[in-house]
Amino acid sequence: MFGIFMESLVIFKLYTGLKLLLLLSLLAWGYLLVKERDKRIRLLLVYAPLFVILLFLFPVSRKVFVGAGLDGETYYRILWTVPMGLIFVYGACRLFAEHKRIGIGICGLLIVLCGNYVYKSQYISKAENLYHIPDTVIRICHRIAPENSDTHVSAVMPTELIHFVRQYDAGIHMPYGREMIVNQWSYYNAVYEAMEKPEVVEVDALLKAVREDYCQYIVMAKDRATDVDPLDRGLVLLDEIDGYYIYEDPVTAKVVEQWQEYYEDEE
Amino acid sequence: MIVLKVLGLVFWLLVVPFCMGLLPLPLLERRLRTPGVALIAGYILMFTLFELVGIPVVLYALYNGFTTLIKIFTPIVLLCALAGIFVTWKSIKGGKAYDFSLLSGFRESSWEEKLVMGLFFLLVGFQLYMAFTKASFDGDDAYYGAQALIAQQLDTLYRVNPYTGRSSPLDVRHALALFPIWEAYIGSMCGVHATIICHSVVSLVLIPLTYVLYGQLGKALLGKRKDLLPMFLFLIALWQVFGNISIYTTETFFLTRTWQGKSFAGNFVIPAVIWIFLCLGKEGTEERKGLWLLLTCLNFAGGASSSLAILLSCLMTAGYGVLFAFRQRKPQVLVKAGLSCVPGGIYVLLYIFLTHGWLVP
Repeated sequence: MFGIFMESLVIFKLYTGLKLLLLLSLLAWGYLLVKERDKRIRLLLVYAPLFVILLFLFPVSRKVFVGAGLDGETYYRILWTVPMGLIFVYGACRLFAEHKRIGIGICGLLIVLCGNYVYKSQYISKAENLYHIPDTVIRICHRIAPENSDTHVSAVMPTELIHFVRQYDAGIHMPYGREMIVNQWSYYNAVYEAMEKPEVVEVDALLKAVREDYCQYIVMAKDRATDVDPLDRGLVLLDEIDGYYIYEDPVTAKVVEQWQEYYEDEE
Repeated sequence: MIVLKVLGLVFWLLVVPFCMGLLPLPLLERRLRTPGVALIAGYILMFTLFELVGIPVVLYALYNGFTTLIKIFTPIVLLCALAGIFVTWKSIKGGKAYDFSLLSGFRESSWEEKLVMGLFFLLVGFQLYMAFTKASFDGDDAYYGAQALIAQQLDTLYRVNPYTGRSSPLDVRHALALFPIWEAYIGSMCGVHATIICHSVVSLVLIPLTYVLYGQLGKALLGKRKDLLPMFLFLIALWQVFGNISIYTTETFFLTRTWQGKSFAGNFVIPAVIWIFLCLGKEGTEERKGLWLLLTCLNFAGGASSSLAILLSCLMTAGYGVLFAFRQRKPQVLVKAGLSCVPGGIYVLLYIFLTHGWLVP
């Protein structure tokens, strides 16, 4: 039980980052505890947050949470019911009700100094298009997308592109996707093993894996080292787009084509 | 063509929810019969209906689930919007007062309040500009974004592995949370790719919608001190921009993952529960039926954003219900709070059954 409590405490620390913004909320909460006379506001912004935090740290809560089939990784979301921003801002409005100009200046400055600018992140970049996915992915998808929208193609992609491909075209399948690059999910995939694990890609091993997976296209960064030239193993270089080679495997392409003809005849 | 698509988006994202939100307004007291409340109520009702129609379709339509959903949901939602207009017309004719003058309060405010309100609008405008022009990478989009696109392009709901494209059994863990499917729906009704809807369009509506809700929260908290509302809204908007103290906060989700259901859960569903209880607890409130109705819908609609959202909103409802019942010595509050959790409770039970392998079609 103590272990679960400590884990919950760590989640709390991670959630708040133990940053000064938490302190601001805490000070506002203390102010409301002393000064707020409106019963409903006391209940919602003073007592309820306290109960939620106690409940959050109580080990049995976490056991029930996981027992209900919910993902333990999302336990921190219970803290979303503590409206830190609302508590601070309402407390600030109450405190500076008669000195609004000073209040806005001081509180605004405190928020800026104690907080963390949301757009300062390595994951935020200039959008290249309305899809907010890289133009390169769109160009590659256009090159390999099936002409007939009722069919699909399969392509193995470098890890830096796999998040985006199926957000652009659901008709492009992949032997593996994001599930292979999330650290805590340790899945096995033969194509991934051949494509991403070795420093130098063994083309024969990769070909064997993609053929077993009926994958027609291999997209590979130009600077990705291979033991032999893929063209020597019968792959066809379809195109080179923004530093990526797009190879087609004629053997798999033919097999897939035969299937598609078979199913069209059946229909 | 683009103009038509934009008009379509305005229709489905603003006009229809607003008209739907007019439906419960006669059940609310006069001060709540405003355009802001209509929009909030409209979104709550729309997601309630979307879940009601969508869940059986997801569970039982193996093929063409998305087309089936469109065929059933569209007439219902349009009828509700028309009913909203009709009910408002009848109510106004019957003498019920509405406060639809958007600028009346603004005109009466001092130059200082106008200036702070202007700063607030600037800050919101900045957030919308960033949402539209900046791409925020999040790995979960490979699931949610792809799931929306699968619905739109393959006409199937939660039966394809979004990462690979292969057929899969029903994804019971996510199948009840239809937020990505709603985005696909809006896209299909307007002829826009689902990923554009997710990444470039819905933020432009959900960010202002959240501030409309905060505006109502501010009014409910500040009461007669309306002069403090601009300060309240400005500081809230600033808090959102600097609330990125970790990747887990609602503020981070609000501005970097706006289009994901979980962001909607943290930034709309949860604050909406607080707002409804603030209104319910206000002394002298005569008309509470509408608020209880909205809370009941919200405790179900939250499931569109994530299964956890329902659990949280129901727990908040139960917890606040207990606190209000004790503090105000009104046990009936607890009963009503319990009843408002019934639809949400059914959803939670269904989720538990599905995730434990029971009732899986």
